[in-house]
Amino acid sequence: MKRTLGGMLVFSMMIAILTVLLQLLNWIPSAVQDGELQRYASIDEVRAHLKIKTVYMPVYYPRSVQWPPSLIAAQTLPYPAVVTEFVRSDDPGETILVITQTALPHPPLVEKLRLAAVRESVRYEFKGRTALLEVGVCRKDEQCCRMTWNEENVGIALVMRASPVELVRIAESMITRPREAGHPVAGTGKQRRSPGTRN
Amino acid sequence: MYLAQSFLHSLIAALIVDTALLAWKIEAPVIRQRFRLLVIVLPIISFPLYQAISPERSSALFRLEAYFDIDRWLHLELWGTVPVGVLFLLFLFFTAMVFILQEMLPIARHTLSSGHGALEGVRPEPESRVTRALEGLPGRKPDVFIIDDEAFAMFSSTGKDPAVYLSGGLVEKLTLDELRAAIAHEIGHIQRSRRPAMVLIFILRVLMFYNPIILMEFRRIVQEEEKICDDMASSITGDRAALAGALRKFYDDDGEDPAPFPSDAPRLRDRIEEYSHTLLIEERIARLEDPPGPSVNVSAVYLVVLVTILVVNYYVV
Repeated sequence: MKRTLGGMLVFSMMIAILTVLLQLLNWIPSAVQDGELQRYASIDEVRAHLKIKTVYMPVYYPRSVQWPPSLIAAQTLPYPAVVTEFVRSDDPGETILVITQTALPHPPLVEKLRLAAVRESVRYEFKGRTALLEVGVCRKDEQCCRMTWNEENVGIALVMRASPVELVRIAESMITRPREAGHPVAGTGKQRRSPGTRN
Repeated sequence: MYLAQSFLHSLIAALIVDTALLAWKIEAPVIRQRFRLLVIVLPIISFPLYQAISPERSSALFRLEAYFDIDRWLHLELWGTVPVGVLFLLFLFFTAMVFILQEMLPIARHTLSSGHGALEGVRPEPESRVTRALEGLPGRKPDVFIIDDEAFAMFSSTGKDPAVYLSGGLVEKLTLDELRAAIAHEIGHIQRSRRPAMVLIFILRVLMFYNPIILMEFRRIVQEEEKICDDMASSITGDRAALAGALRKFYDDDGEDPAPFPSDAPRLRDRIEEYSHTLLIEERIARLEDPPGPSVNVSAVYLVVLVTILVVNYYVV
């Protein structure tokens, strides 16, 4: 018994050292090279640090979405991508909305929210873009929907645990200018609350 | 992603298993082999298992909070030009080549040559020392053949008609008790080769042909197998000293008259192999002369190690 417990103590210490070593090794690439996937405090910090000029962010958020984002992460290696996650305002443990933007033709970063099954898929036109709107369920049979479209050389994907009506409103609020007359179609990326849409 | 994660998971499993074997001073080869088997089996299933349990494990948030994300290293560019990922793939390719050249080709050659009756030997005379040694062994005995070779050699063939092969030089130099212990060791190999678990281990090992950690761990399992057969031989003959004596003669024979090598490279490689072989024999002799003490509660330790590997590897993406 004494030997078993003594072994347990040594083993626990060694495993603690191993996990610390793993985390140290995990940190090294970001210390020697910029651009690895990393967490940021704000969109402005992403712009400043990674020189990603345009970050598409909605200006409308429904009441159910908690501001600010629970996660802002971005990378430029191996390709530029930004992911923002939002939690439910009445349950900070549950992710309700995920927005990713990825340099084309790369696939979007794997999102925390995923449609387990797609029940309906339609083309949705808004502000001169054609998006793919999919409605289905996430893991716990909750209603989920996803909307994807391209903005110049960037692919945008939104996934939300809510009705498609809310998702469409969020997506539309990300685009401030219609695609016409050769104007760039980037949103301002400015994080502001729309009056009347927030608590 | 599967290649990278299975490599990492096997590396971490190997570190955890070695730590456990040291921490709890586990010396019984059967138990050690069971622990080492975790290093081979878990990495094969861990990635799909984790993904099935938790699909968000590959999400950006999870990767950011993981203990270790191999993507960060694979995308790292050395001197701004060569991604580490390319070197990693080359490393796996090199391991696959070593596996083919050092493990698969010899097996294929052996299968082909044994099919053509290249393994020839004569049955021992009725009054010979080999026959007397066999008489002292209990149970059903395999066929024994003596091959015409002055060097020390002893091996067994398995399958439908298993047989033990002894070289003439070995028969001449071993005492009757040592000869009996040596044959009992080979009987141990024949008995264990009938276990489907051994075949399964080899199949799993083949599945991970690209993984250097599995390559190393499989060799360590084979070394434990030798010790298990030593223990079986000792329990059959009841004489640990005789087997230790036989091994010592093997060891002494290895040390003398090294054949000249045509160049430095093979000499170095052969010397390393010879050195590790000698180390293993020394270790086996030491075990036989000084048997390990009683083990700890192995089931509890096994469970702790299994859970630790699964939990730590879950956070390694």
